[in-house]
Amino acid sequence: MAYSIALQKRYRDILNDIQDQGLNKEEVQITGLQGAEIHIKSSDNSGEARKINMCSNNYLGLAAHPDILKAAHEALDRRGYGMASVRFICGTQDTHKELEQRMSTFLGTEDCILFSSCFDANAAVFETLMMEEDIMISDRLVHASIIDGMRLSRASHDTYKHSDMLHLEKKLQMYHDRHGKIIVTDGVFSMDGDIAKLQTIVDLAEKHNAMVFLDDSHATGFLGENGRGSHELCGVFGKIDLITTTFGKALGGASGGCVAGRKDLVELLRQRGRPYLFSNSLAPMMTITTLQALNLIEQDDSLRKKLKQNMQWWRKELVAAGFIVVPGESPIVPIMLYDAVLAQEFAKRLFAEGVHAVAFSFPVVPKNQARIRTQLSAAHNPEHLEIALAKFIKVGKELDILGKSKEELLSMHNK
Amino acid sequence: MEDKLLEFIREEFLEDPDQEIDIDTKLISSGLIDSFSLVSLQSYIEQEFGKRIPAPRITAESFDSIRQMVEIIKQF
Ligand SMILES: Cc1ncc(COP(=O)(O)O)c(C=O)c1O
Repeated sequence: MAYSIALQKRYRDILNDIQDQGLNKEEVQITGLQGAEIHIKSSDNSGEARKINMCSNNYLGLAAHPDILKAAHEALDRRGYGMASVRFICGTQDTHKELEQRMSTFLGTEDCILFSSCFDANAAVFETLMMEEDIMISDRLVHASIIDGMRLSRASHDTYKHSDMLHLEKKLQMYHDRHGKIIVTDGVFSMDGDIAKLQTIVDLAEKHNAMVFLDDSHATGFLGENGRGSHELCGVFGKIDLITTTFGKALGGASGGCVAGRKDLVELLRQRGRPYLFSNSLAPMMTITTLQALNLIEQDDSLRKKLKQNMQWWRKELVAAGFIVVPGESPIVPIMLYDAVLAQEFAKRLFAEGVHAVAFSFPVVPKNQARIRTQLSAAHNPEHLEIALAKFIKVGKELDILGKSKEELLSMHNK
Repeated sequence: MEDKLLEFIREEFLEDPDQEIDIDTKLISSGLIDSFSLVSLQSYIEQEFGKRIPAPRITAESFDSIRQMVEIIKQF
């Protein structure tokens, strides 16, 4: 054991830096169920307060849905708590296979393989499937787990400007002689809530002989006519080579993820994907309950409709109140404040008013693009949203930001 | 080399075409270029100057200005 003074100083310095830059992340402690209303422990542990939750990925409200909890309880009784094995030794139950089948059909692909998380799915794909002579061309705003996944691959990597299809085509032309080419994008981008131009991406991929990789974590279960995701919404269902997604958001919110795609690609991931081979099998409760989430989504579209109504109402009312909202069709609704200090102050005041929504600023988003990111859920009832809106407007008036332009907002703190 | 890099960076990264940059402008620490996008620079340097800079040498600190980049490129 040796934790030298020099090392202690190294870690302390880094932590102090994080603190000084205002990047320290603190965790609020929730004492009950995840949902539209949450109970949060006060920071001095003296009690707890009820907040309206505007920042979870619980898009369909399944995290505490009675049918989901029931399925999980039954699964626990019938199939136990865990597998204590990787998949290929003694960690595969029939329900793992069943879920792979169902996800594959649901996402419109040939086959599917489960992972402990979508982070792991993204960590497996590029290292296993993209070889040294290949090129991966990714949107500049793809999720961190994809960036890490691409770093593990020996293939070359280049990027295109966010959703800039001309730039993407330029890159495809530049690398026309590469053996394997893959275009890499999120379906819904998590910081802006905008949707990839999948129709054009698929066309370009065909024209330039490239595969398409789509991370649809923020769309699976609710976007598109049948909730199958952004590819369904964009009219390219069945045309994506590789889709990764998570069970940790709309599909119940517990954990787990998968890669769905072409048969041989999935088979190679089963044989060579390191996060698959060397990590424990997904718990039976997760597989069985995710199947139940798919049942709910396929049987009835009421949650999906409610989410959409909530999203449309929320966007419309915020704009009417004088906030600058990034336009879009997803339940991720960012309210732009541009200035980092202003965004922090806004979130703090909202919290004191009983609304939980998080401020994001540089380096998570570009400089002068600070925002409050709100996320809608089918768990929100009209009353939740009405109260939340009233609080947004109250804080907006206090800080005198309603109806202000970007330039005006940015100049407020520099006066 | 400086001029080519300047032009590439203007075209490839800058949102605002009127933004003034020179070879000493801080690019990454100022937020003009996202450090994840450095791979685009790596590919460009390889294509344009025929030099493959190993990824570990391309960091947010070592590639923060064009002057720094040129120094590193010259070592290869
Ligand atoms: C786009 C995207 N991909 C992947 C992940 C990781 O998924 P998981 O939580 O299943 O690891 C997330 C968020 O957590 C995400 O937003």
